[in-house]
Amino acid sequence: MTLKPRPILRGLFAVLIAAALGCSGEALKPVIGVIPKGATHVFWKSVEAGALKAAGEFGVEVVWTAPRREDDRSQQMGLVDTLVLRKVNAICLAPLDSIALREKAEKATQAGIPVVIFDSPLAKPEGVCVGYVGTDNYAAGKLGAQGLARSLGGKGRILLLRYQAGSASTEAREQGFLDGIKGFAGIEVVSDNQYGGATVASALEKAKSLLLRFSGDRTPDGVFCPNQSTTYGMLQALQQKDLAGKVKFIGFDPTASLIESLRKGDLTGIVSQDPFRMGYLAVKVATDKLAARDVAAVTDTGCAYVTAENVNNAEIQAVIQPQLGN
Amino acid sequence: MKWDSAKILRAFGPFGAFALVWACFGVLESWLQGTPFVKAAIFSGEAVVNIIQNTAVVGVAAIGMTLIIVAAGIDLSVGSAISFCSVVAAKVIAAGGAPHFVIMAALGTGLACGLLNGLLIVFARLIPFITTLGTLLVLRGLSLGLADSQPINVQEAAWLRWWLLPPASGFALLPPGGWLMLSLAALTVLVLHYTVFGRHVFAVGSNESTARLCGVAVDRVKLEVYAIAGVLSGAAGLMLCSFQGQGDPTGAEGYELDVIAAVVIGGASLSGGVGSVFGSMIGALIMTVIRTGCTLNGVSLGATKVVTGTIIVAAVLADRIRQRSARS
Repeated sequence: MTLKPRPILRGLFAVLIAAALGCSGEALKPVIGVIPKGATHVFWKSVEAGALKAAGEFGVEVVWTAPRREDDRSQQMGLVDTLVLRKVNAICLAPLDSIALREKAEKATQAGIPVVIFDSPLAKPEGVCVGYVGTDNYAAGKLGAQGLARSLGGKGRILLLRYQAGSASTEAREQGFLDGIKGFAGIEVVSDNQYGGATVASALEKAKSLLLRFSGDRTPDGVFCPNQSTTYGMLQALQQKDLAGKVKFIGFDPTASLIESLRKGDLTGIVSQDPFRMGYLAVKVATDKLAARDVAAVTDTGCAYVTAENVNNAEIQAVIQPQLGN
Repeated sequence: MKWDSAKILRAFGPFGAFALVWACFGVLESWLQGTPFVKAAIFSGEAVVNIIQNTAVVGVAAIGMTLIIVAAGIDLSVGSAISFCSVVAAKVIAAGGAPHFVIMAALGTGLACGLLNGLLIVFARLIPFITTLGTLLVLRGLSLGLADSQPINVQEAAWLRWWLLPPASGFALLPPGGWLMLSLAALTVLVLHYTVFGRHVFAVGSNESTARLCGVAVDRVKLEVYAIAGVLSGAAGLMLCSFQGQGDPTGAEGYELDVIAAVVIGGASLSGGVGSVFGSMIGALIMTVIRTGCTLNGVSLGATKVVTGTIIVAAVLADRIRQRSARS
């Protein structure tokens, strides 16, 4: 009678083996562990596709290891530990936290495993990583400013709806945008101190209050939002006030539905990062380091300014298509 | 003597399952990567330290959850309580609080969370599932509010970090926090099996009305169980702080499921009256070993979840078969 549970355990063993069969590696290639911030966003799927392309080109094996949740810092720290234990040849890490993950990068570096940081930087990265690969967010913000100024013909009153205090990447975009807009004397920034917050819902609420404050003859001529959730929130607020298409509106990070709004004219332009290129270049920098080639401390993965006119161009499609999920 | 072997199997069943899962990953590794079985990375001292580091938070909380589940209750708010306690501890550290004060603040906050659940369940006569679903949101909100939604850095608090750092000498085997977890578990086993309070917990969980008729102060026992579990989630919060170096208002989200899974894998019954603290520790360790082993062998995130889920269901199924055979 006591033997009864055994078949279950045997079944368990079979599951483990079956799970492993899908992923047997070749021992001879260098192994590069890539740790994104999460697994579910389309953004990370594009990063993975880029990383795998680089793996094929440079003859390395990429081990894609994602945390279960996009805000579980402890788990991401554990993943770095496990890759160090596995003695991978290099690690590419998109840190969920610029400070908490720093000591894990340091640990890997001390174990002789070069660490390439991508997507978001580490605090005080000197000596704990070989380089940073990511979007130059300041330049991305400037690109948005130029797009907005051009669509307004260089004059008008505009709003900036910020994302969240303490988010380094979007603050750099906001600063880049404000500095970029200063170059146009005819443009006046009427509000730049409001934050949309973490979710689309909070951004929508804030956008609606802003548009209430600046309504009637004070209605702004242009709006800029520095990330996806603020862009969604502002878009819905403009649509509800029947201002979509009338106010020039530049957003950030395309999705299929934002591209649809762009084609309809509700959005004037979208600044797009290049996650595919980010994954590709992160693995490339790691490969270069393993081959003892010089690597730059910072590698810009570039961004594109998408409008209704250029959205069908091949080079724009190449950047945005991996992010649209089909 | 068949009865004896059955009893032994029951006592060591969870440990056997743990050894089997661990060994499986050793086999997998030697098969996939060609390392000899005994030299597999998953058996190395470093792996053991990693596994303890990544189990400590869930493991310590699972001790308290075992008490609650044995008493036929449930606590869904444990993840939020852990996060809240970690934020309180980090706030006190940031304000320059001395170590003993930090520990008291975290444990005290945990106690308050536990008492809140206990009082609502005992005096307002609310179902534990619904009550703690509510406090899950309330405590998460307090945690986010207190920390202004940003993690509070306490990297420099060496005394706190020490708990989950690799041991200074290899002789100690585990990080100090690992030993603390095991000691707390051992203490709870003693309390459960050798004190009147412990027997009352089982009595309340097996059959509440019978326990009441036998003169057990059911309400008091329940309140005490939630209070103890609360203090333990405070300790788990300190562990989170120690490992992550931050009080994290978004941390430990969804950990209630890991904690409950650990307790169930360890042989507890969600209908109460049955459970083993020792088993829960093994349950927590099994889940970490699966995660670590899957990462070491490059198993995808999806497959990792399938394996973990399969083991949970298999553990419950094995328990059901064991109970059925015990009855016949």
